[in-house]
Amino acid sequence: MRDQAHENLVELLRRFMDEPTAQATQEDIQAGERWLGAYPAPAPDARLLMVLKAQMAASARRRHHLTRLVHASLAAAAVILLALVGLFAPRTANQAPLSVASMLPAAIWDSDDMTADDLDLAYFSSQIGQIEAQMQALAGEDGEVGTGAPEELEMELMAIQAEFLKG
Amino acid sequence: MGRSVELARLIDGCKSGDADSFAQVVDMYAGRCYGYFYRLTGDRDLSDELLSELFIRLVEKIRSYQGGAFESWLFKIASNIFHDHLRGKQRRKRLLDARRNQLEVEPDLNESRISDVGEDRLDKLQVHLNRLDADTRELILLRFYSELSFKEIAELRAEPIGTALSKLHRGLKKLRELMEG
Repeated sequence: MRDQAHENLVELLRRFMDEPTAQATQEDIQAGERWLGAYPAPAPDARLLMVLKAQMAASARRRHHLTRLVHASLAAAAVILLALVGLFAPRTANQAPLSVASMLPAAIWDSDDMTADDLDLAYFSSQIGQIEAQMQALAGEDGEVGTGAPEELEMELMAIQAEFLKG
Repeated sequence: MGRSVELARLIDGCKSGDADSFAQVVDMYAGRCYGYFYRLTGDRDLSDELLSELFIRLVEKIRSYQGGAFESWLFKIASNIFHDHLRGKQRRKRLLDARRNQLEVEPDLNESRISDVGEDRLDKLQVHLNRLDADTRELILLRFYSELSFKEIAELRAEPIGTALSKLHRGLKKLRELMEG
């Protein structure tokens, strides 16, 4: 019935015994397995399988939610850690303050409200576009006209980041 | 090839928690796993329990499946569940024996075995399978229901392939003699 399909039994047996013994052994094995096939075991109850599938689905859902929760918690912890590092990292006297908070806040990753997320993203994209345009304008002009503009840009960036962190 | 691609797709689905994929895996393997448990225990209720345990453990462990023969992975879990059950049963039996000794009742091993299989009517095959030693019986049933190659079975049982072949041959020869005798 099923010669296990994966292997040539006689060939395998020949590695351990001579040809006639291998043939006899194969016959014994196949005859024994024919008896197993002749007396099939009962099938599992259909109701049991239905209950089992429902239990598995529930268990899988629980595990999936738990995994998402763990990932969200890790992402939040990472953002907090980065923010703390940014706040408390030692700075040299001439070094400007570095903001290391993520530009993509956890709130956007975790949110299920895609419409609101899209609006947020569109708003932030337009802000970034404006800043880019201003920077390009600055780069094109000479030093006198653009005096003081980088500070304004930096203030704008900080304001945008604050909005991001608020979610 | 098509079957293995389909199986790989189902396993990916299971890993991402898809209920339909789990249901299809149950449909594919429940019969063989149930047969394995039933022929090991001869008890339908117990086989129901062990099968449920197996598939719940599958949900818990599917992410740890790293490829290779899925049947080998699944039947390894099935075998562990059966051995866990045996260990629990041995503990219960020791407690029961202590109780029996207190009551000065002579323990009867055959009677104990019959009671283990509940009220199921044992077929001829089951009766003769029970006459084989436990390890050989498990090896024969593992080979038959898992449909694994000898190499995979030897790996699963962590024993040399020659040993597995020899045990299986002796066991099946004896089973044949019992069935034909």
